Amino acid sequence: MNGGTAGVPGRTFEQRAGALLARPEVGRNLAAAMDRSVALRDAAFRGVDLEALRAAGEAIRAHTVADLARYLEQWAEEAEARGTTVRFAADAAEAVAHVREVVARRGARLVVKAKSMVSEEIGLNRALAEGGVEVVETDLGEHIQQLAGEPPVHLLVPAIHRSRAEVRDLFARSYGVDLPDEPERLTRFARERLRERFLAADVGITGANFAIAETGSLAIVTNEGNGRMCASLPPVHVALVGMERVVPSFRELAVLLPLLTGSATGQRASTYVTVVGGPRGPHDPDGPEELHVVVVDNGRSRILGSRYRSVLHCIRCGACQNVCPVFRHVGGHAYGAVYGGPIGAVLAPLLEGVERWGDLPFASSLCAACTDVCPVRIPLHEHLIALRADVAAARAGALERSAFRWWARAWSAPRPYRLLATALRLAQVPLARGGRIRRAPFPLSRWTRDRDLPAVARRTFRERWRRGEGGADGA
Amino acid sequence: MERERFLARVRDALAGAQVPPLPTDLPPPFATGDGRRFDRFAEELARAGGEPRRVPSDGVAHAVAELAKDAQRAVVGADVEPFRAAVEEGLRRAGCEPLPATPRAAASADLGVTGAVLGVASTGSVLLRPGPGAPRSASLLPPIHLALLPEERIVAGFEELVAAWPEHAGGSSQTVLVTGPSRTTDIERALVRGVHGPLRVVVLVVAA
Repeated sequence: MNGGTAGVPGRTFEQRAGALLARPEVGRNLAAAMDRSVALRDAAFRGVDLEALRAAGEAIRAHTVADLARYLEQWAEEAEARGTTVRFAADAAEAVAHVREVVARRGARLVVKAKSMVSEEIGLNRALAEGGVEVVETDLGEHIQQLAGEPPVHLLVPAIHRSRAEVRDLFARSYGVDLPDEPERLTRFARERLRERFLAADVGITGANFAIAETGSLAIVTNEGNGRMCASLPPVHVALVGMERVVPSFRELAVLLPLLTGSATGQRASTYVTVVGGPRGPHDPDGPEELHVVVVDNGRSRILGSRYRSVLHCIRCGACQNVCPVFRHVGGHAYGAVYGGPIGAVLAPLLEGVERWGDLPFASSLCAACTDVCPVRIPLHEHLIALRADVAAARAGALERSAFRWWARAWSAPRPYRLLATALRLAQVPLARGGRIRRAPFPLSRWTRDRDLPAVARRTFRERWRRGEGGADGA
Repeated sequence: MERERFLARVRDALAGAQVPPLPTDLPPPFATGDGRRFDRFAEELARAGGEPRRVPSDGVAHAVAELAKDAQRAVVGADVEPFRAAVEEGLRRAGCEPLPATPRAAASADLGVTGAVLGVASTGSVLLRPGPGAPRSASLLPPIHLALLPEERIVAGFEELVAAWPEHAGGSSQTVLVTGPSRTTDIERALVRGVHGPLRVVVLVVAA
């Protein structure tokens, strides 16, 4: 992933989160925005049998992903039959090469782009810019982030951490305009500026929410209309789609669309669901002359064969980010990867290796709020636990391993267990106050730096049982 | 080659995987109610910031004239049939100049008039099917989009929508489900209507 962490220093989650926590306005803006997102979601599903809907969503995604090769093949055949050019990309480099080839052949200088997380994943903007092509992000939040020189901070709301005053200042710096800090005026200004770009662009690039196998079409879900613009006005439309985003037919969209939009923005239906089925027809007055779709693997097939397959069921609604107590404090940039929050903490190490992103599964309280809210019931917190084991297996040193082996052995037999408990009870005497240890020597200092450690009880359960005691420990 | 290698990798990764069945009965996402479909459609469209209006078939010209009175130029898609004559009459009465149905004209029009092949009561959405004589940009570029929808084409919910959609998608390079005017909540989650697409969406539901 090439998204990087512009503006947030630090090599580890801990360092980046520390830098962000030192800026209290970030957490304040985030938490207020997330509260609103959560309230909107709840309102959208009021009076709906959400559990039945989630179960159906999960079943649809599990079926399709388990039979992915067949559905991908069907989709590609149908798409080509309607004049779409289909390319398959094994990794980021191939995906970028496909897009650059189209852009170069058309001699394109200006590209307008709707939101696409896959494009972030493959580092497309930078690659195109290096080739002298101007790339304009047209989703309002994404555009704001582009002006600031930062990657998106949230799946759905890329500039969710910024205040209106920050946006006004950014527009002032970038466009030399003096606007009031009213979202309405700022939005209207962006509409006018970007309208010129839409009409002048040589190529439009979008992502896709679903690839519909039965008709070889793509469904693009947006609210602002920029997706429709990119897919309608420039002479060439290039769509990037993660290979797992296939659905068998339109029928399944009756479940997946409401789950997506309700979870993402609290709408019953998003403003636009654009179904693109090929380049413009011979008698169509507008639409692109060429439609290119790049289907991207980039690490997904590795996940497919693992115990983490269900993470590919994700429909990118962002609901897990909104409810995550960690994400709510620090936002997406702390994660450093393209995908942040619970879904990112699972995806990043799987897509790019535990060596690089092994600390992300630990950036979680394992409260499972993400799992509870996921519209397709991905067991995110269980994946996080399993990933922690993978990370430990890959990373833990010989000393740590043997320490835990001895620990496990001691706690599995009554005598050593009792001995150890007694030893700990004696050892903690200088440290424990009121049933808690606030500061402990290394290695426990790593624990007590951020939280208290409960002290070992003065008398064990067995001792109290023998004496027939009831009630609380008399500490 | 590229495709075979790609699909082979997917097949290998899934070798021996159980494929759970697709659910046969899908739950309806939103209750559709048993009241008049137009009432539900109107309520949901208004909630999404759109403007539903129900008119008798001989009231189309009048309604168009009302709506076009502040507009200078309008682009009218061929998909407004069978209401084309009434739409043109309404524009004439309002003194609004009809432009040819081209994307260039749509970019300078204040009003875009199109038909709609379907309305969805449970969400207040309309399905548009651009095509010959009916540019995609007519419903996208002008600040006001007026869609004409015969009342009998309002279906109850998404179940009926997705049953009809493939046929329309098969017949057009782009179909689009529109629910109200374009919107964003990207700045402090404050709702702003009118981003890149229309600022106003009016659906004229024509009674049979």
